[in-house]
Amino acid sequence: MEVEALQKAQEDIMSETTPLFDEFGRCLPTGLSSHAHQKTRRYFLIDKPEIDYAASYQRLNQAFAISDALSQEQFEKRVSSILDGIANDESMKAILNGVKVPFILPKALYDDIGHAMDTVYLPAVASAFHTSFPKYEFKNHSANALNGQLKVADNSRHQNVLEQMASDVVVGVYFPCLLEYSVPAAVERISSLPKQFSLAGGFDTSAAFISMPNLLLRKEGYPPLLWLSGLASVEENVAYHYEAYGYDLNFNRRVHLGQVAEYWASGITVTS
Amino acid sequence: MLNLAAEQSDNVLSADELAKREGLRARKPYVAEKLANIYSMEERGEISPIIRLEKSYLCNFQCTHCSAEYYMDRHLEKVLHVKEDRQQIDLENIRDISRQADELGLARFVITGGEPLVMRDLDDVVAAIDPDKHYVILDTNGWFLDDAKAQHLKSIGVEKIQLSLDSIVEEEHDEFRNKKGSYKRVMRAIDATIGAGLNLLLSTVLIRGQPKTQKFLDLCQFATDKGVGLYVSYAKPTGSCTDHPEFVIEKEDADVLRQLEKDYNVFTHMTPSYGSHKGCITVKGIITVTSSGEVTPCPYIDFSIGNLFETPLKEVLDRGMRNPWLGPHRPDCLIGEDPKFIKIHTEKTAGATHLPLPWGKGFSDNDSLTD
Ligand SMILES: C[S@@+](CC[C@H](N)C(=O)[O-])C[C@H]1O[C@@H](n2cnc3c(N)ncnc32)[C@H](O)[C@@H]1O
Ligand code: SF4
Repeated sequence: MEVEALQKAQEDIMSETTPLFDEFGRCLPTGLSSHAHQKTRRYFLIDKPEIDYAASYQRLNQAFAISDALSQEQFEKRVSSILDGIANDESMKAILNGVKVPFILPKALYDDIGHAMDTVYLPAVASAFHTSFPKYEFKNHSANALNGQLKVADNSRHQNVLEQMASDVVVGVYFPCLLEYSVPAAVERISSLPKQFSLAGGFDTSAAFISMPNLLLRKEGYPPLLWLSGLASVEENVAYHYEAYGYDLNFNRRVHLGQVAEYWASGITVTS
Repeated sequence: MLNLAAEQSDNVLSADELAKREGLRARKPYVAEKLANIYSMEERGEISPIIRLEKSYLCNFQCTHCSAEYYMDRHLEKVLHVKEDRQQIDLENIRDISRQADELGLARFVITGGEPLVMRDLDDVVAAIDPDKHYVILDTNGWFLDDAKAQHLKSIGVEKIQLSLDSIVEEEHDEFRNKKGSYKRVMRAIDATIGAGLNLLLSTVLIRGQPKTQKFLDLCQFATDKGVGLYVSYAKPTGSCTDHPEFVIEKEDADVLRQLEKDYNVFTHMTPSYGSHKGCITVKGIITVTSSGEVTPCPYIDFSIGNLFETPLKEVLDRGMRNPWLGPHRPDCLIGEDPKFIKIHTEKTAGATHLPLPWGKGFSDNDSLTD
């Protein structure tokens, strides 16, 4: 018990003194045994999107029919309170220098994450993307193949998001800030971040794409691939991700083998 | 160059492709088996790159853009006034490379150059690779590819021809290739290849701004109507093309092309194919063995990752996969699109006489993306 208390005190001191994010909002890969790049040349980037609450809300409501439970005004208020909370914390506030995507998740409890992705979330991303970009394509390379394939990754804190969903409509902000992290490094890093940070999984990342279907649409340079690191596949060394293909958006699986790539990133979710 | 995964898993093949696959299985069961394994190798994190073999750089053309020009004797002797004095690979070395590749489960060789159809020992090279062990592909400008030659290539075990066609407009192709009559020869070669029952791919170089032109769409339509894939190679700023930095594409070109993939039978080396989404294929999807035994991670990168006279193929591949520029997954073309890498490559190769730069001079184990 004493040792635990000491460790906790040490962690608190660390998080007060060591910066958690760089000036661009990238989560710094401190103290990791898994692979992550210490330095970045900032080559694979997401253009910082403007938040348009009305448009995001309209798309999220279209997908999840949440208007009875949450108005646009309440959505904005709850997002502002998340952002203000972060802005008021010295160690956390630099995350706001990066990309942030507000989202809403419906109140829901699912037996199977993969089935819910197949039947609810991926079709909703497809619909939001097609409505926003009729000339481009959302391609789900794992269509109807996720049943029984996904579970919450151990130590990812993603369970917190699912538990919140079980009791109420969730408002959150998605930060794709674990740039150039391997999937295991993303999991490792989350456990040393303040407890309100969870690793993003399938529902929250998908909701972020419904909120902003243009998240990975980049004309001047290439955006990163976004892993759903909060979820583990039943297949070893495999994870699922969103990825741009030119102006199109893809959802797919791939073998990652715990490796790091300049092109690979994961996201953090903060909920209210 | 080639539809990299085109010989992979059966369940996604069209009827025509399936028939070809069955044909190969009947004629060359060992090769078919290895090709069928590629997908599962990738799933295990193993690689199965195609080996491009450049035994000779002799060529009857002198194209505006040629990446191989700086390897050619005519360039070394007439422009640089130096001799090629490095040890050259022979048939015995090719047999050994074929054996090493086979042991690693690698399944595909492309004979390229230079122009393979001017090589006196082409038949011996095909035999040294061993077409019963490997799927053999031939790159060509098509000048010498008539019916008799196509039938001969088929008879010695070549499976596929990759034929260069750089414009659907006759005068433009001939001008780019600096060879009057070459377009007509390509048209003849298309018929000869199909007539001989060889697989065919058309290969075209993409220059900045081209994907948005009607002429390019006409070329895509031509290939699609013929039922032949059009492989699009972004112009890389190497060899003679170093003098044409304006050829290098912009992201918009690559993105417009990605959209065209939906309407035409057209693809690049990075087009997802049969479940394989490799992105840039350096080492993972392709390597080149040069006449001096050097292994480069891409046909257009003049930095070696090792020399097969000194280092076994397996070690060279491992070294390549460890390199931060080459191993990790990325969606863009390293030498065709990444400005930082292009700059490093241009600066390091400037003034070099004997390409590629050996391991340690271009690439090394100390490479970093951020230094
Ligand atoms: C080097 S050639 C050798 C085979 C044969 N002589 C031919 O022209 O097809 C192989 C392929 O590379 C392409 N190529 C040559 N230089 C290139 C460059 N700088 N960028 C992109 N592709 C290039 C050629 O157009 C050809 O399709
Ligand atoms: S592109 Fe081919 S045909 Fe043209 S010069 Fe180079 S090797 Fe010869």
